Amino acid sequence: MEIEADTGSSSLILLKQGAEARVFESDFVGRRSVVKERFSKKYRHPILDSKLTLKRLNAEARCMTKARRLGVCTPVLYAVDPVSHTLTFEFVEGPSVKDVFLEFGLHGINEKQLDDIASQIGDAIGKIHDGGLIHGDLTTSNMLLRNGTNQLVLIDFGLSFTSTLPEDKAVDLYVLERALLSMHSSCGNVMDRILAAYRKSSKQWSSTLNKLAQVRQRGRKRTMVG
Amino acid sequence: MKVFKINGGTLSLALFTDVTNSKELLEGMQTATLEPEVAFLNALLIPDIFPVLAAAHKTLVAKSRDSLTTRTLHAELVYNYSGSKHISESLKRCGISDTTTYILAARFDATPEEMKAVEKLINGKEVDLEELEARANQAQIQKHYKISGPELGVSSLADAITCRIAARDAL
Repeated sequence: MEIEADTGSSSLILLKQGAEARVFESDFVGRRSVVKERFSKKYRHPILDSKLTLKRLNAEARCMTKARRLGVCTPVLYAVDPVSHTLTFEFVEGPSVKDVFLEFGLHGINEKQLDDIASQIGDAIGKIHDGGLIHGDLTTSNMLLRNGTNQLVLIDFGLSFTSTLPEDKAVDLYVLERALLSMHSSCGNVMDRILAAYRKSSKQWSSTLNKLAQVRQRGRKRTMVG
Repeated sequence: MKVFKINGGTLSLALFTDVTNSKELLEGMQTATLEPEVAFLNALLIPDIFPVLAAAHKTLVAKSRDSLTTRTLHAELVYNYSGSKHISESLKRCGISDTTTYILAARFDATPEEMKAVEKLINGKEVDLEELEARANQAQIQKHYKISGPELGVSSLADAITCRIAARDAL
């Protein structure tokens, strides 16, 4: 009888720390994995805190798997632990779209690759929007390109929710547009290429893009409160 | 058979085809007289061992917190593998029936003697775990786990099942 590679070591290496969660690298039954832990906020009432944390944890797991069901690649979810407030998912090997675009800014643009990435982004957003899923934090650092296949992988569904309103979809696209403008203006107009792909992929592109024109005029928030 | 380490414990897996005594096994299990206790999974629904390991991981975590949903550790494994919250339906579909001939046997922290005993319980031919992929029933898997065409465009069957196992309690 053979013994398979050890897995139980579960050593955690901190990768990133954000405002809501810490992200670790670990190992899940033999596969390289990422553990996202939502920590508790000491300034909140303990009962409210645990309710919010759990709700967001579950929402993230749901949205991640929903995106997959709609045919958009996201990391494979390995485990959800409501007690330690952690999600464990696949470690996607590859650079973020942000790094690739910054590289273009430094060393000249590879038009073919840029086109491929932009059309994958537009296609992916079109698919999740048609399925009624809003990503909520579309930035180039939340998109990875899998080594080897260059397949686009959307990550971080921590701010995702379900909605079919053109308003929400338009704001989702607007956030991406602003992010591209501020980070990657040297890449030329990537947003137009993304929207061209979005138009092909989403059946409801027309109402969303009309709304996007309105959102551009007034900004992300509908009302001027907060 | 093969042994996998999970969370400091182990899971031993053995795959059998042409099993002739599944009725006996089922009765033994239902009356809790099987010695040693073991989980029998309908291997037609298993395209790869990884989702089984993910279900086993979930089972051990629940066990360590004394929060098993089913009566035994091994029933919990079958229940978790199903990715559904319906216990009896899970055991029917992902466990074995009178007529099952293709079975994956699983036992936590088994000694070599115990696995020998498990092999004796089952009247069938043991085959390599590598055979899982070729022998799995894709149509049945897609139906049971409700895996759509677009999803298979970006994901393997095994990964789709793993996601459902992990996300069950979040839904």
